[in-house]
Amino acid sequence: MNTLNPSGEERRIQRRGGATLDGAPVAYVAALTAVMIAFTLVPLPLSVVIGFGRSFPLSQGLYGLIGWLLGPLAGALANGIGVLIGVFINPQNTTIPGASVAGAVAGALAAGVMGATGLRRRWALPLALLFVLEYSLYGGRAILQNGADARAVFAGSFINWSALFLFISPLRALCGRWLRHTNLRYVTVALFFGTWISSGLAHLTSATWVYFVNNWPAENWWLMAPAAPLEHLARCVIGAIVGTGVIAGLRATGILKPLHAAY
Amino acid sequence: MTAPLVLLERLSYQYPRSETLALHDISLEIRQGEFVGLIGPTGAGKSTFCLALNGIVPQFYGGRFFGRALVVGLDTVEQPVSELASRVGMVFEDPETQLTATSVENEIAFALENLSIPRALIRERITRVLAIVGLEGLEHRHPHELSGGQKQRLAIAAALAVEPALLVLDEATSQLDPAGAAEVFRVLRALNREYGMTVVLASHAAEELAEHADRLLLIDAGELVAEGSPAEIYSQVALLEAHQLRPPQVVKTFSLLPCLPSRLPTRLEEGLATLSNYAAQCIPAAPPLQHTPAAPVITVKGLHHRFTDGTLALTGIDLAFYPGEYVLIVGQNGAGKTSLVKHLLRLLDPTQGQVFVLGRDTREWTVGALARHIGYVAQNPDHQLFNATVRQEVAFALRQLRFPPREIASRTAEALGLLGLEAVADRHPLSLPKGDRARVIIAAMLALQPQVIILDEPTTGQDYAGARAILDLSRALHAQGKTIIVITHQLYLMPGYAERVIVMGKGRVLLDAPLRQAYHALDVLGATQLTPPQAVLLGQRLCPAAQLLTPEEIARCLTDSRVPGDVL
Amino acid sequence: MMAWQTVSRPSLFTRLDFRSKLALMLGVTAVAFLWESPWWGGALAVGVLLACLAAGVAPRYLWGIFRLLAPFFLFMLLMQGFFAGPLIAARTGQMALTPLLRLPEHWPLLGGVTLSAEGLCYGLNIIFKTLTMVLVTPLAIFTTDVNAMLVSLVQLRIPYKIAFVFSSALRFFPLLATELRAILEAQRLRGLDLERLPFHRRIDLYARVAVPLILGALVRSQQLEIALQAKAFTGDPLRTYLHETRLRVADYVLIGCVMVFLLLALIAYFVWGVGRFKV
Repeated sequence: MNTLNPSGEERRIQRRGGATLDGAPVAYVAALTAVMIAFTLVPLPLSVVIGFGRSFPLSQGLYGLIGWLLGPLAGALANGIGVLIGVFINPQNTTIPGASVAGAVAGALAAGVMGATGLRRRWALPLALLFVLEYSLYGGRAILQNGADARAVFAGSFINWSALFLFISPLRALCGRWLRHTNLRYVTVALFFGTWISSGLAHLTSATWVYFVNNWPAENWWLMAPAAPLEHLARCVIGAIVGTGVIAGLRATGILKPLHAAY
Repeated sequence: MTAPLVLLERLSYQYPRSETLALHDISLEIRQGEFVGLIGPTGAGKSTFCLALNGIVPQFYGGRFFGRALVVGLDTVEQPVSELASRVGMVFEDPETQLTATSVENEIAFALENLSIPRALIRERITRVLAIVGLEGLEHRHPHELSGGQKQRLAIAAALAVEPALLVLDEATSQLDPAGAAEVFRVLRALNREYGMTVVLASHAAEELAEHADRLLLIDAGELVAEGSPAEIYSQVALLEAHQLRPPQVVKTFSLLPCLPSRLPTRLEEGLATLSNYAAQCIPAAPPLQHTPAAPVITVKGLHHRFTDGTLALTGIDLAFYPGEYVLIVGQNGAGKTSLVKHLLRLLDPTQGQVFVLGRDTREWTVGALARHIGYVAQNPDHQLFNATVRQEVAFALRQLRFPPREIASRTAEALGLLGLEAVADRHPLSLPKGDRARVIIAAMLALQPQVIILDEPTTGQDYAGARAILDLSRALHAQGKTIIVITHQLYLMPGYAERVIVMGKGRVLLDAPLRQAYHALDVLGATQLTPPQAVLLGQRLCPAAQLLTPEEIARCLTDSRVPGDVL
Repeated sequence: MMAWQTVSRPSLFTRLDFRSKLALMLGVTAVAFLWESPWWGGALAVGVLLACLAAGVAPRYLWGIFRLLAPFFLFMLLMQGFFAGPLIAARTGQMALTPLLRLPEHWPLLGGVTLSAEGLCYGLNIIFKTLTMVLVTPLAIFTTDVNAMLVSLVQLRIPYKIAFVFSSALRFFPLLATELRAILEAQRLRGLDLERLPFHRRIDLYARVAVPLILGALVRSQQLEIALQAKAFTGDPLRTYLHETRLRVADYVLIGCVMVFLLLALIAYFVWGVGRFKV
């Protein structure tokens, strides 16, 4: 290519970018929504946990990633619409559509706030309060209204309270920082813990809803105690591997970065 | 004289984060009713030029913009893109991404809705533009259900619906099969001739541009190198080749003669007419090399395949592929080419019949095991890149298959070297240009050292130089004794590479013959909607029995007849 | 792979506006949430099922849902049948349950556990609740043309940009599904037999499938963005629509009925205990 000087007069350009949703181009949000639909259709054949459904789709490990790529609001939108459509196309992976959608939305919100900068970091407080409320409704209903053993509830909801605890802890901000680290190893670690938090809170949100419908008996909590963490671990591994690959690719290609993205 | 429709004055443009100018000092006019062809190698600035006509360059990308571009009297820097969008209709390369709605009628309505056109008028326009592009009756179809050619015609219809003054098409036919491309060119020609629509078309399709365009613009490195009628531009063969472009084969043929015709013909018809000025001496081509008969690597017996939705993809295929062959598989989209090769890899299992690889039924192989013997490069390279560096990408399969580390290192280095990728080994595959990404996939496939290599449309979307580079590599591998199978629509590229041609149509093998014979089986090619290269058609007229294939071969017959004394 | 469906024949439901169907969906879901009586819940589920059939939702789709949910239903039924004791006690104050079957004492873990009629009833209630919520959505959504749905959403003051994301995601996901298949094939062609890999490596590969799909979608989204701009898309809600939607008499009647139904259900539940779990 040439490096010659242009002879024409330089013009002042007014950049009129396309339509955006909370700083993310609409086309970008639409593309990731379509990705979520596709991933809702890919089942991972290992789930035994009732909270989300029976086998769990690939998308559940990626709720957080979408939040980091698009920012909290646009991410929540992409996740919500993606899972909503995915659920109708393939009802296999869910029992209650609304619960799955709510979970996906919560996952992106939690992740997006984790990676937020500036004033948006303050969104963490109301969000944390919401999740605390959910957890007290979830566990509270089990123990107080349905007479379940508190130890069982505690054991069965390990992934939920641990995610909530980590979300409130300084790890949230640390993850946000490491996601932007130039060394991809830090990014991977941040993605792993970030997915533990965001997918754990997503699980909490849908499980609360599902439990209000199902009221599964006390013994089910004991069944969930060993199974849920294993399954959650698989989600985190997926989130970390996919996230690292995607973020490395995005940095290499220089595709436009949405305003509130966290990588 | 009326004002020009498009007026560019010393237009230069630089993308943000780029150090060079994508367009440099371009000044030109385009008049109402012209059909302008835009030619140039990949990366020359053709797409930037197209986007500058509706203000997306610079308004969407930013960067630096110099000079002035007036389109229908509107300055593209001052008018918002949405305003320019009602004057300039755009059609892009990828038929999929540019269709945004869930039905044909909504696709056409989309831009009109954005421009707040009343509903009744939208209805009227839908009916009108569907008739123009010949898609009547498909109003309620999902774009996904249309063929490639239909999708591009729909994109044209959607662009026409706003009643633009100018229609700009960026590589709109490069992803289509010949039948689909012909449909699009037919529509464009009718639009231009019957409705007086001004058309700007960026394309690598030299033969078609020579046929349809009024004027050509040659762009390279962001500069307007030459402009003129197709006859003027295409007759400068040396200029074209200096810019990695290819003239139509008719031009090439006559340009090789020691005594040139007074005017080089650019269109097939002219070429055929010019032939009669020359006397021909038919020199029969050398017979193709005969392979010593060996046991076939792959045998296909009575293969039928029916997809789960009931469509019959393959009906009664019997074939054998021998070690060291270079085979070309051709046929229109849906003829069953890809379905056939997927059976060789066990990505599909026969509904009926058998496929043997190295003497064993494919049902006894796993896909993974087969892949070590047969390397397959599918159409879109980007689906096949999963790693963060080129080196990891090439080593990926070796690692997954637990090769010893030393062997991984040596095989990876060898494959990288073979494709000239050492310099970019530590870069992210997606940061490379498209041609290089395709090479990464080929390197990854070669690392497994397969005996048979299948390339599925390796040249689609590549410019002439890129396509040639990939084919030269295939020839080098062939020389090393590998069996090569190539699927492509671009017949003119293959003489000099492939030896044997399998012509497929509607799930059957229509012809299996040496390349020379197959290229001259015009009725068979026609049955699967393929047009042979222009050189073949000239050869047919000149001396059918000699089955000439290339401009060089034809030129040789013509020169020999005119100046017999010069030949030893 | 299943696809987005629409019913093939016109019915009362296809003529209704999406907004009134949305009201129906929300009302029925709320009532399903409220009721814990298997009888009332069962009646509601059957009603929704009949409505689905009347609206022309493909019986194959419905059957598909049943088949997918059957193991879950069985699990819930047994789980509640055997272990619902504390839950029933908390709801009805009844401590002694009606035994139907008692597992032999010498069985490990489950020895001596009793299947109760009350537990089974509670399990049935959950099944009906789930069914109602699962079926009411296709009833509303599959009977509506996607484009008409978008116009209705916009009239409900949902920003047009969001409605656009919905429709273009629907447009593009079949492309991604095709790409997904191509990527999986590409992986197998690198010599990997997914079926034979140990579990942790299979997860790794599944995850790697996602990377090119996401990156490819984002690259495409830039092309899409340019195509949208070339079509004068600004995200501005001030635009016309090819399809029109209007609330007709039938829609107002339906919305009214849903409101009355919801109100009556609430009053009856809290005043007379209609729909509460009883034995």
